[in-house]
Amino acid sequence: MSKKVAIIASNGGMFDAYKVFNIATAAAATDQEVAIFFTFEGLNLIHKEANQQLPMPEGKEHFAEGFQKANVPSIPELVAMAQEMGVKFIGCQMTMDVMGLEKEVFVDGIEVGGAVTFLEFAKDADVTLTF
Amino acid sequence: MEIIKSNVTLDAKGLACPMPIVKTKKAMTQLEGGQVLEVQATDKGSKADIKAWAESTGHQYLGTVEEGEVLKHYLRKSSEEEKVEKKHPNVINNEDLQVKMASNEKMVILDVREEAEYAFNHIPDAISIPLGELEGRLSELNKEDEIFVVCRTGSRSDLAAQKLAANGFTKVVNVLPGMSKWAGDTASLNL
Repeated sequence: MSKKVAIIASNGGMFDAYKVFNIATAAAATDQEVAIFFTFEGLNLIHKEANQQLPMPEGKEHFAEGFQKANVPSIPELVAMAQEMGVKFIGCQMTMDVMGLEKEVFVDGIEVGGAVTFLEFAKDADVTLTF
Repeated sequence: MEIIKSNVTLDAKGLACPMPIVKTKKAMTQLEGGQVLEVQATDKGSKADIKAWAESTGHQYLGTVEEGEVLKHYLRKSSEEEKVEKKHPNVINNEDLQVKMASNEKMVILDVREEAEYAFNHIPDAISIPLGELEGRLSELNKEDEIFVVCRTGSRSDLAAQKLAANGFTKVVNVLPGMSKWAGDTASLNL
C-alpha cells in the first residue's frame, strides 16, 4: 500500500510554489499518492497566467539569478510534471467564488471542491503539510 | 579505475532537486527487474535522496562513485526473484561458509550477481560471473572444484547452481541467504 501525502497550499509567492511542488513531485516520484488543496493565495500557483510570474518576497529578488544558476525548473514545468505523475490538484471552491474565478483560468485537470473534498483525502494521509 | 557495467545510463547532470529523483523514477520504468541503472548527477543532495528513494520504493541502492563534480549512483531494479522456490539440494549457510573459509580449505566462491553489485561489495577472492553470462563462461570454471555459489538472497545462486549441476559440475553448493546477510569480510573494486 503506497503512502499518502496531503498538502495545503495557501500562499501565492514563488518560494511557496517551489516548496509545494518540489515536495509534491518528489513524493509522487517515490510512489506516494499526493493531493494538493489550493486555497486563498495558493490558487495563484495553478493559475495559468499568474503562475508564470509569481512574485519573490520583497527584498529577495536577487535570488532570481541563483534559481537560474541552479537550473531549477520553472513553476509551470513543475506543475506539468506533478500532474503527469498523478498528483491530484484540488482548487478551493469557496476561494474561487470570493475572487470571482472560474475553473477555466486554472491549469487543466484540476478538481474543484470544498474543504471536505480535501479532508476526505487527508483523513488517512501519512504526511500532511501546510505551506 | 574499474568501469561498472549498467544496463541503462541516465544523465541528470546540472539538474536541481527534485529533478534527479523524478528522472530516476521515469528511467526505472524502462528497466527489467534485476537490471542496473546508472544515474549521473551533479546535485550534491542526490546521494542521500537516491538512497532514500530506493529504500522507500523497494529498489536496491548499490553505491555511488564520485568522479570530480559528477556523482554516479547505481541502482538495481527490484524483481520477483525473492519468491522463487529454491531447488538445488546442496546448500550451506553464511556462517558455515565463513568457518570453512577460515580453515583455509581450497574452494571457489562464485558470485553470480550483476557486476555493479559485485563492484561495491563482495567476498574477497570471489569470482564474478553474472547469472546471465554463466552459460557462455562455464569454461572459466573447473568441474572438479568445490564451488560455492553466492548472490544477494540465494535465488539467482540457486538457478546458477542448477545450471552448473546440469553441466557436469559435481560439487556445487548454494550459499544461503548470501550477500544480503553476509557478516564476514568483504572487498570492493578500486573505484
